[in-house]
Amino acid sequence: MIRVSEVVKYHGPVRILDGATLTAAPGQMTALVGPSGGGKSTLLRCINGLEQFQAGTVEAFGHTLVGGQPIPQASLQKLRRSVGMVFQQFHLFPHLTALENVMSGPVHALGKSRAEAAAAAEKLLERVGLKDKLDSKPANLSGGQQQRVAIARALAVEPSAILFDEPTSALDPHMVGEVLAVMRDLAASGQTMIVVTHDTDFARRAAVIHTMADGKVVASGPPDAVL
Amino acid sequence: MARYPLFAFAALLASLPASAQEKKPPLRWGTDPTGGAPFIYQNADGRYIGFEVELAEYLATKLGRESVLVDGTWANLPQQLNKSTDVEKGVDVILNGYELRRDMVEQFGVSRAYYAYRLALITRKEGGVAGWSDLKGKSVAVLGGSVAHDHLNKHHPDADIQPSEDVANVMKLVNDRRMDATVQDSPAAVHFLKEYPTLTTVGESVKAGYYVIYYRKADVELGEKLNAAIADGLRDGTFRRIYEKYGLWNDDQQELLPLLDQPWPPEMESTREANPWPRLFLELLKAAWITVKLSCLSFPLAVLVGLGVAVGRVYGPKWVGVPLGVYVEVIRGTPLLLQLYALFYMLPVFVQMFSPDLAAMFSPFVCGIIGLAVNYSAYEAENYRAGLLAIPKGQTEAALALGMSRWTAIRTVVVPQAIRIVIPPVTNDFIALFKDTSVCSAILITELTRKYNELYNFNRDLIVQLVFLTAGLYLCMSYPLALVARRLEKHLGKGDRGAA
Repeated sequence: MIRVSEVVKYHGPVRILDGATLTAAPGQMTALVGPSGGGKSTLLRCINGLEQFQAGTVEAFGHTLVGGQPIPQASLQKLRRSVGMVFQQFHLFPHLTALENVMSGPVHALGKSRAEAAAAAEKLLERVGLKDKLDSKPANLSGGQQQRVAIARALAVEPSAILFDEPTSALDPHMVGEVLAVMRDLAASGQTMIVVTHDTDFARRAAVIHTMADGKVVASGPPDAVL
Repeated sequence: MARYPLFAFAALLASLPASAQEKKPPLRWGTDPTGGAPFIYQNADGRYIGFEVELAEYLATKLGRESVLVDGTWANLPQQLNKSTDVEKGVDVILNGYELRRDMVEQFGVSRAYYAYRLALITRKEGGVAGWSDLKGKSVAVLGGSVAHDHLNKHHPDADIQPSEDVANVMKLVNDRRMDATVQDSPAAVHFLKEYPTLTTVGESVKAGYYVIYYRKADVELGEKLNAAIADGLRDGTFRRIYEKYGLWNDDQQELLPLLDQPWPPEMESTREANPWPRLFLELLKAAWITVKLSCLSFPLAVLVGLGVAVGRVYGPKWVGVPLGVYVEVIRGTPLLLQLYALFYMLPVFVQMFSPDLAAMFSPFVCGIIGLAVNYSAYEAENYRAGLLAIPKGQTEAALALGMSRWTAIRTVVVPQAIRIVIPPVTNDFIALFKDTSVCSAILITELTRKYNELYNFNRDLIVQLVFLTAGLYLCMSYPLALVARRLEKHLGKGDRGAA
């Protein structure tokens, strides 16, 4: 369960989040939609502690972040192991192969052996349809392939939930499909996800949609009620 | 500053009403003021004094010219005679304890001898060497390129010979137990034994030869006048008065008088083998190996320290970052030569107060490696800092989002990428360091440039060949390095770019 209550975030004098409140139930896909600049991505980044906020609370799987208080590194690390993230710009590690990218979390964050991590990473890359690209460096992969590696990388640390920050916005239109297919597959398998998206067709697959505007969640409910 | 009084004096002369005397050009005499007492040194007012300063003034007066001191380095001053007098630092004569040597006589005009010198073996009264036969394996400092140096090479090749450029520092090293002994010309020995009561001469001093003045071969008339003046000075007791003032007069000088009636210069047998090249090349090659060792041991250290400093500056808290910033600026902002001096001459004195054993470890080679590593670490720190700052923030965020700690993210994600980005400037610095090792000659390390200087001193007719050979050796070392770097760049850089 992820519960965001009354989160307020300033960027200098600008109020980016203005008391945003939402919940995301486990085993479900939750979509976050709304106009650009409404605070969707910022809220997502607050949930796994990449952004600090001034007021309100974020609770995720037993970890709590309280706005305005300094958060110790250790508790941020614990939270992030439960809440993974997929970025708009992929942010794959360019000096590592696809396989090594997926292995990096288990090896460096969870302390697993390389052999164990490699076996798991291979399975995950197979699941996102990239079995033949294990040894490719990111620069030799298409945008769609890179984003699928990034999803496998997020899955590799077995988080309770994954946050997707506009995962298809940086892709050429013909590559959007392959990434969405992977995400649909994830949602169908009962993976808890929060997806920030402009794609209303894809948002319709969510159990709950939250619409954000001006830093607030202005409407929440099942797709038919909100869209 | 020391020369101001001289200029002032010259200006005063010029402003006097024109005398009947015809105005002659000054006598420009080349000397190395760092060579030290008693030849030439500064007194408490910063004025240059010394027996050779007085000799030069006497000679100039005799020639009806004004004495003008031109400073240079002892080993290279003879080259100034190959240029005309009116270039910058141009000289008419060189007068600075230059020995009568066949290779010099072949190239330059030579005056009558003005002093007969010996070679003295100087060591500590306690715990020094026993005599000339006890030099095997002992560290013996000597003025590089001097006859004393040649003497050691020929008669004591099993000694650990350390060519240096100045006398004062060497005396101190012997005094501080960091060198076993030094071989010096008798005038220097006389002077410095007064300064260091802990030092003494041991063994019979070796009769070595004469100090002479060199001038251009074409200046025959100048040579004749110099000889006449030297003969007068020797005969009328002027030289004796000067030498006695500095405690340098001895029976050896009596022999200079009968020499005045002998043909000059005397016949000298060649001391060089028929084909010196195998030996010269081997000596250069050995010195090049020292250069390689200095570079290859110091640079990895510089890279490690530099990377640490960069990480500390970029990611560390303020109390780490600020001191590291000061470190970089101080090291970058002061000359390598000065840092080496501080490390070799000053630091051990300081360390000695706490642990003599530790101080003994500061050998020239160790100091050279530490000095180069510290100096280059500042530049490498800046390279790596630029590299770290160039890695997009998203990389760290992606690593953090996987649950890595901040330090793990830096270590496994940011640093490896930063290292790849800065391969070209870092390689560039490695090649630069290769050549900067030559500065280590200042702390008695005989690397390639030092060896070249030494060889060329004894083989002045081979200077062109030696220059090209030495440059060639440097190129042979640095060019393969450039090739390796290019391959490394290609290999590591492959497929890295383009993905954000």
